[in-house]
Amino acid sequence: MEAASFNEVDLQEQTLEVDRTDRRVELLLGALASTILLLIAGMILFVFVKALPSFTHNGLAWFGSGGSVDEQLMNIFNSPAEPENYVYHLRAWPLLYATILITGVAVLISVVFSVLSGIFIVEFAPERLRQTIEPVVKLLAAVPSVIYGLIGILVVVPFVAEHLISEARKESVAYVIQLDGTSILVGVFILTIMICPIMIAIIVDALRAVPEKWVEGAAALGVNRWRAMRTVSLRAIRPAIVAALVLATARALGEAIMLSMVAGSVGFAPNPLDGFTFFLEPARPLASTIVDNAEGLSVAPFGQTMYAFAAILLISSAFLSFAGWAARKSFSRYTLGGR
Amino acid sequence: MELKEDQPQNGSGPAADVPPLRRIVVESETVPIRVGDYAGPPDPNYGREPWQVGAGSEGEPVWVEERMRTEDLSIAYGDKRAVKDVTIEVNSGEVLALIGPSGCGKTTLLRSLNRLVELTPAAKRTGRIILDDQSVDDFDVTQLRSRVGMLFQQPNPFPMSIFDNVAYGLRERGSKKPRKKILEPIVVDALERAGLWDEVSSNLSHPALALSGGQQQRLCIARSLAVSPEVLLLDEPCSALDPISTSIIEDTIVELKSEVAIVIVTHNLQQAARIADRVAFMYLGDMVEQGAAGQVFGAPREERTQDYVGGGFG
Repeated sequence: MEAASFNEVDLQEQTLEVDRTDRRVELLLGALASTILLLIAGMILFVFVKALPSFTHNGLAWFGSGGSVDEQLMNIFNSPAEPENYVYHLRAWPLLYATILITGVAVLISVVFSVLSGIFIVEFAPERLRQTIEPVVKLLAAVPSVIYGLIGILVVVPFVAEHLISEARKESVAYVIQLDGTSILVGVFILTIMICPIMIAIIVDALRAVPEKWVEGAAALGVNRWRAMRTVSLRAIRPAIVAALVLATARALGEAIMLSMVAGSVGFAPNPLDGFTFFLEPARPLASTIVDNAEGLSVAPFGQTMYAFAAILLISSAFLSFAGWAARKSFSRYTLGGR
Repeated sequence: MELKEDQPQNGSGPAADVPPLRRIVVESETVPIRVGDYAGPPDPNYGREPWQVGAGSEGEPVWVEERMRTEDLSIAYGDKRAVKDVTIEVNSGEVLALIGPSGCGKTTLLRSLNRLVELTPAAKRTGRIILDDQSVDDFDVTQLRSRVGMLFQQPNPFPMSIFDNVAYGLRERGSKKPRKKILEPIVVDALERAGLWDEVSSNLSHPALALSGGQQQRLCIARSLAVSPEVLLLDEPCSALDPISTSIIEDTIVELKSEVAIVIVTHNLQQAARIADRVAFMYLGDMVEQGAAGQVFGAPREERTQDYVGGGFG
């Protein structure tokens, strides 16, 4: 009897001790998490406040097109020193257009390619091939983008300039733009290569986590392997595909260095009416624009314009996360607790 | 292959409006001979043990007819032979229970009947498996598996709605997906036969994975029934379930046996005794003994059988 009560006391003390430790850890982690949240909130607020003059001076026309965006940026950079004479006139459409175009096309190609490669790696690849491909894919996902940019500008751009751009093609658009190989084609190509590994890695992991019993259940109903993959496994991993999509799009949106190296770095809106030449025309997305003009940030109106670009990128990624969350939520409706 | 010459010329299998024909196939070195196509109304008690008479769910006699048969079936995983020269019949109208200790080859035998064992890369098969007088190798695997359905140890509904789960087999086996209007009566019927309709009729669009374990297993039964199989293979269907769900599933199985030939692998000898009409005992890949449930449990001929069932029945 006595021994039992001793134990009880000990236990109680231990529990109290554990409780105290728990509470300390909880507080510490809570503080860390709130600090990060505060930092993010502060950053967003800061960027928007800084960006405000650019938006207020241009209104909705900021998003429109008109004139050469590079010329406008130059004028802003050269504005007079007195604040009342600052130049803000900007029509940013070519940059927005380049961002949407390059990111969108690269992500679209990547998602198709990555899903197919993921299926191949998990379901059809021979064991030895799989053991080679998987580590390589994961390695590729971690390669710094500047290396892709370097390979792009040293290998792919000269190749495109030499084999795809004829004199006649150059002349056909010579009155608006100069074709030298740096182009949205190379940009999209290398961006696709860059973001595919991330998506493949996520999709492979997700496919592997699909319970074998679902695939077996489909097989037992007489459904063949490919069809079971499509109707059961791919359906089940839709949330993971969305997550991969969000991550890859975020990386593509924020890709600056590589695209500024290979996509031409000209504030030009390629014209789809040019046929195939369209793909060989240069462009410059928002992130590259910020990187290319980093040295001009000390000029107040110019800096505010760059903050405006950053604000657009921030809004896009926030919207992207939200859309991804909503899509994942609707897709995982049937998977609840099923794993 | 030899059996094919024995097929009726006008079509495949017995016509739907004539009672099923009893085929007595005499095994010999040469072509098997079939004796008597139709000799008056079928005798429901033909070939049955006396105690089996009146074994139907509502006390009616059940017409026992051969559906599947293995002949000297052996299955090996690499060098390891999991099933050795097994010859066994699967009849409609009765429940066949495969019993035996773990690793004795029951599940392998079961999975070979719908050729699911082929999913295991190293598996090799010798001997024949015959479904309705035709080797299973002659069937398209899709067709075979919709005629020989299967239920697994773990309930495995797909992450879809209840309706989509039951309709899955119907939708995915052809190239053209049938409309929901056509599917609906089939789905309802399958759910009714699996004894699940009353519980899910109002929420067919709910996720299947939100059902309880026992309901999920019955949903899987419905999913198999929807493609109207002739044989249903059950691989320890109740091992993950509580006693109440188990007894509901057992009742469902007994009710189904008049329409579908049922083979059940079970570790639970009481379960085998409760629902099986015929029992086969396997040990280390050998088919040690098979016979009427009463005989195998009550008066086993083999010592090994006695040792095994003795453990469960004292």
